[in-house]
Amino acid sequence: MAEDIIKLIKENVVLGRVNRDDEGIDEGMLGQPGVSELTEKALALGVSPVDIINNGLTAGMEIVGQKFEAKEYFIPDMLASAEAVGVAMEILNPHLAKSGIKDKGKIVVATVKGDIHDIGKNIVSILLRGAGYMVTDIGNNVDPQAIVDAVRDEKPQFLGLSALLTSTMVHMADTMQALRENGLRDKVKVIIGGAPVSEEFAKSIGADGYGADGFQAVRIVESLASAEDK
Amino acid sequence: MPCISDEGDERIMVTVSNQEDIEIDRWQVLRSIGYGTHHKLPARIVSLIDEYVENAHQLIEPSYSYIIRDIEGVRRSCVYVEGSIVFESHVIARLLEQCEKIAVFLVTIGNRLEEMVLWLAEDGLVLQSAVLDAIGSVTAEKLAESVEDRMREEACAQGLCTSRRFSPGYCDWPIRQQKMVFRAMNGASIGVRLTKECLMLPRKSVSGIIGIGPFDMEDYNPCKTCNKCDCLGRRHDTSP
Repeated sequence: MAEDIIKLIKENVVLGRVNRDDEGIDEGMLGQPGVSELTEKALALGVSPVDIINNGLTAGMEIVGQKFEAKEYFIPDMLASAEAVGVAMEILNPHLAKSGIKDKGKIVVATVKGDIHDIGKNIVSILLRGAGYMVTDIGNNVDPQAIVDAVRDEKPQFLGLSALLTSTMVHMADTMQALRENGLRDKVKVIIGGAPVSEEFAKSIGADGYGADGFQAVRIVESLASAEDK
Repeated sequence: MPCISDEGDERIMVTVSNQEDIEIDRWQVLRSIGYGTHHKLPARIVSLIDEYVENAHQLIEPSYSYIIRDIEGVRRSCVYVEGSIVFESHVIARLLEQCEKIAVFLVTIGNRLEEMVLWLAEDGLVLQSAVLDAIGSVTAEKLAESVEDRMREEACAQGLCTSRRFSPGYCDWPIRQQKMVFRAMNGASIGVRLTKECLMLPRKSVSGIIGIGPFDMEDYNPCKTCNKCDCLGRRHDTSP
């Protein structure tokens, strides 16, 4: 029974169905329980929140990631799935807290100074939340000093920086410099993303990682987190 | 109906309008998000786009302005335009070296759609926010296209031809040259302003230029010889 419901959660994550009112990708699902109802039901049946996350939500998002890479899914499909995971996490969070299970880590995200584009940052944020991280989004056009202040106050393990333009990606380097000057560089892992940046650029400014898309960003955070645990 | 602005230099006529009907096409929105005609379209996304396209009409406040100026000369990568305006770009210089005039334009769909995009994102509705943002981008491009058509018709009526449109920030035309575009607009900035980094606010705005001359220029497509294949503004076809 537990296995069946986890499998259903996984399938509904792949379909991007938040609740029973959701059509999802395939028509004909309307009225059938979505991720939120299934998550509630699983908890009522005594399934552990960790099982729901690992074998239902995360497993579902892995399939979504594969479909995205195979160009079978596009950004809206991926966002629909991530939204379903986000809703399930809201249901699960009080149960996780009660069982003393912590989130996977804290991430501060920002679009750097001079840049007002935030769709990419928002996509990465929702995927990271869906992967179990606590995300603090400090907005767009964020000054290096404001990023330094957020890192000092929030004490995140990760900092995600986004830029869409060649004219604003230079402020990623300014932000790295500001972190160094304030003695915070070794306190936080920095990953960057956005259309004009690359692996080489990340290396050149001393960032810890580069994500070409939202799923890669999550993967890099996961790999940096597991390297830190070792 | 478009009217003539009385702002700035009285010798130069600026056409300004906030009356433009724009039809938003669901397929263009789907294409801008990545879907091709061969993809199976998810029912949820299609109904979401239809719902937001319907509502977007209340959020769109289209305005445009354009101005025609004489080209004084082209030397190397610089185009000298009347009013002490200099456009610096090899691509633009090649486009305009045989043109007599230049049309400089600015279009915007206003602030309201953008405010809703931000509000949805803040409320955690990232999918809805991304869909509305895509509708905004498609609409702003559509408005630029319709102003381009209008300028083409006006040129055609005078026996002249027009080029494709080009915007600062694409090809080798630096984004800082937005300042020159705005200077050329002679004060008719229809509520669009530039940030220090030369980005336009409201975000869903398009600025640029079109060459006007006595011969067909629609074939001039610098994308054909450009090797930046991942460019978001790449024009694959040869149509205008």
